[in-house]
Formats: sequence, structure tokens, C-alpha cells
Amino acid sequence: MKKAVYLFNNGVLRRKDNTIYFERENDKRIIPVNTISEIHIFGEVDLNKRVLEFFTKNSIPLFFYNYHGYYVGAYYPREYLNSGLLTLKQAEFYLKIKERLFLAKSFVKGAVENILKNLKYYQKSKDDIKDYVKFIEEKKNEIDLKQDIPSLMALEGEIRKSYYESFNIILNSESFYFDKRTKRPPNNPLNALISFGNSLLYTTVLSQIYRTHLDPRIGYLHETNQRSFTLNLDISEIFKPIIVDRVIFSLVNKGKIKIEHFEEDVEFSYLNEKGKQIFIKDFEEKLFTTIKYKNLGNVSYRRLIRLECYKLYKHFLDEEIYKPFIAEW
Amino acid sequence: METSKINGTLIWYYYICQREVWLIGHSIEADQENDFLILGKHIHELFYKGEKKEIFIDNTIKIDILSNKKVIGEIKKSSKFIQSARMQIAFYLYYLKKEKGIEFVGELLIPEERKKEKIILTKEIEYKIEKAIKDITEILKLPKPPKPEKIPYCKNCAYKDMCWS
Repeated sequence: MKKAVYLFNNGVLRRKDNTIYFERENDKRIIPVNTISEIHIFGEVDLNKRVLEFFTKNSIPLFFYNYHGYYVGAYYPREYLNSGLLTLKQAEFYLKIKERLFLAKSFVKGAVENILKNLKYYQKSKDDIKDYVKFIEEKKNEIDLKQDIPSLMALEGEIRKSYYESFNIILNSESFYFDKRTKRPPNNPLNALISFGNSLLYTTVLSQIYRTHLDPRIGYLHETNQRSFTLNLDISEIFKPIIVDRVIFSLVNKGKIKIEHFEEDVEFSYLNEKGKQIFIKDFEEKLFTTIKYKNLGNVSYRRLIRLECYKLYKHFLDEEIYKPFIAEW
Repeated sequence: METSKINGTLIWYYYICQREVWLIGHSIEADQENDFLILGKHIHELFYKGEKKEIFIDNTIKIDILSNKKVIGEIKKSSKFIQSARMQIAFYLYYLKKEKGIEFVGELLIPEERKKEKIILTKEIEYKIEKAIKDITEILKLPKPPKPEKIPYCKNCAYKDMCWS
């Protein structure tokens, strides 16, 4: 399995023959293109067209983040897998409202089931969690009643709001407190962690979609006509609780991430460089962790994301109805 | 799907996995990061560099012509699926005979095992090829891929994750 590369330093990405160098003052690092799946760029990096051409040739997308770690865009190389059939099917399932709603609901159901897995795990030690479990389980039953995407999204928002409130019990920390979700910019350290983690997940999923025949521009839950990539947001819903949120719980509860890892202003809060690095280390470790998968032996979380894409293939080809991944614990 | 577009790869998979025939026939490609797939490409690039020449015929078949111009070669990683490999070469011979009126001899090359095998097109093999072409055409007409079946080939197949996810 290929790995992601994260660049924090300022420097120049240079192509020399069939290799990429990342050059800094007095320092030259070789990036072996055969072993990487994508590059996440956080520092001030200069690059030219030659480099981009080389990344295209090797099917490597680049993701750019601004100074605050906020996703700013991607270099998504030309598609290298072309199957007209799957593209047409993917669009067909978007255009038929019943089919679109089915998939949108599947993503929400997957998200909610995985949220409940997290809550039930913490319920064992923290009794107050049970109220959240009860509320979310009731709300879960309303998913099937929804007849359109906006009301489905509103329901999902309600569930997630309640879930995020439960973080105050799970984390039990004064520094990481949830009052309301704020995104652009995040207003406190917990929101900053959630935003940063979700950004990383969106690009990680996008990178996996790039390695399939799926078109990331056609999503089902998220509005396709409003942004360039949406399918990655849909698939991310399922994995946020089991990847991003679990990384947050562990980082905060083990005291690995502290208030000193944030840059704070009156109104906003961002992870500083050290904080981002700490987060990414655990995030990558999580993606690398393997679990047992029914027919395929041990599968990493990163691979699990790819499998989700393959399950969509089968759904589109009318082979097997899509069921979102739900964690076993 | 044009039914005349039967190629060597489809013949090879016909003797291993019919689901794969359908997927490849519909341009649904396997996981390009699969280790065995990458290894196969490397072996192809590495061996017989000097003496082979890869040529495309009618945009349908890709063959490796060896230094001796009347021999077409096909390189494989191992002899595990030797029957498939034999039939793939036989298909090239058949195609060249029927479409171009040239009779070639085939050679199956397995560099890692230092093996070579001569393949000659007999009447019996021609019948087999004709049946395979007919069957593949039918498989490709199916509205969806044949169901996956667990076979020994699955273990290292680049479609594994797609079939068993």
C-alpha cells in the first residue's frame, strides 16, 4: 500500500530525471514516487509545470493547505482510469431521485451507526452518554421517513450537533469544550481539531477515489452543483466518527495535544505547526491500522475507504445493494 | 460493446475467471497498485529487452515479435496458468492466420523459470479458440458481470478487493 507524504517545510519541489527532490536550504530530500499515493502540502512550496507533469504521469494528486491548515485546493491529475460505463451509471443514480436518496440515506445511516459505536464505547465508563445514545437512536429512525435531500441533511445536522455535545463528556476537558460547531474560522480548539481532521479525511478519501473509476464530482448527499468534489464528502461521513473523532478522543484524553498547540485569537483558533504534526502522526497511524474484513483478511483503514468505492461500483452495476461500512466496535 | 473486439487478454482470462472477462471487456480496470500487477509489468520490461518488439495489430492484439520474425512470443511470470498462456498465444496465431493469412509459430516464455514452450496451431486448438471467442462474446453481452467465485487465482488477483469488498 502506498503512503501519503506531508510537507511542512518551505522549499522547492524539483523534478530531476525520474525522481522528485524536495529542496531546502542545505538539505535535499528524495521523494520516491513509486511509494507514494498523494502529497499534502502545508509549507510554502514552489513547484513548476515539469513537476506537475511528473505527478500526472505517476498518478499522484497534490493537496494544498493554507497557513492555518485549511484545505485550499488540489492538483487532481488527469483521470487515468476510464470506463464510460461506470461514469454513466454513477450519473444515472444521481439523476433518479429515488436512487439518489437511497445512497444519500446510506451515507447518513453509516455515519450515524458509527457515531453510535463511539458513544456506546464511552457509555461503558461514562453514564451520562446514555442520553445522547437514546436521542440519536430515536433520530436514526427518522432517516427513512425523509423524502428529500435538504431535510435529510437537516436531520443529519441535528444528530451531529447532539453527538458533538457529547464530546464534553467524552473528553471531559476545560480546554476542549464544545458549545456550537463553527467552521470558517473555527472558534475554539475543539472546533479547530474537528475541522483539521475532517479536511485531512476529505483529501484522503479524494485520493482513494482518484484510484478508482468513480467521478468525485458526482455526490449524492452533498450538492453536486455547488462544488467541484462531493463524492469524497459523502464517503467521509461514514469514516469521520471512526477515523477523525477517534484520533481526537485519543489525542485529547492521552494529553498528547494540549492548548499550547493552538494559535488563539479573540475569535478563532487554529492548530500550530507542532499541533498539526502531532495530529497527522496519529491520523496516519490510524489509516495504517488494520482490521479483519470478511473476505479479504487484514485491511487497513485507508484500504477500507477504497473498498467503499468498490462497493459503489457493485451498487451501480446492479450487483449488490450498497451497505456502508459499520465498525464492529 | 463491439463483439469483434476480442483480444489476447480476454482469452487468457476466459480460462481463469469469466467475471474478469466481463470487467476487462467493459474497461473496468483492476487496482493498479496491486503488487503482482506491478511485478508482471516489470518482468515484461526487464526481460528480452533487446530481442523483442511489441507491435499492435488492428488495434486489437498486442504481440511480442521475437528476433526471428516468424515467431511470436508471450512472456509470463510463472507457469501457474500455463493453459491460459498457451491459449492466448494460440489466439494470436489464429488471428494472424484468419485475418492476415500468415502462419506463425508461437513461443511461451517464462524467464523466471527459464522455460520456453513452442505453440503450434492445430485444428483441435482452432476449434477451442473459436468456442472461446463465441463464449466471450456472450459473456460481454451480459448486463452485469458474472458473480464472483472464490478460486485459487483470487489470492493474488488485482480485482480481489473489488470482488470481495
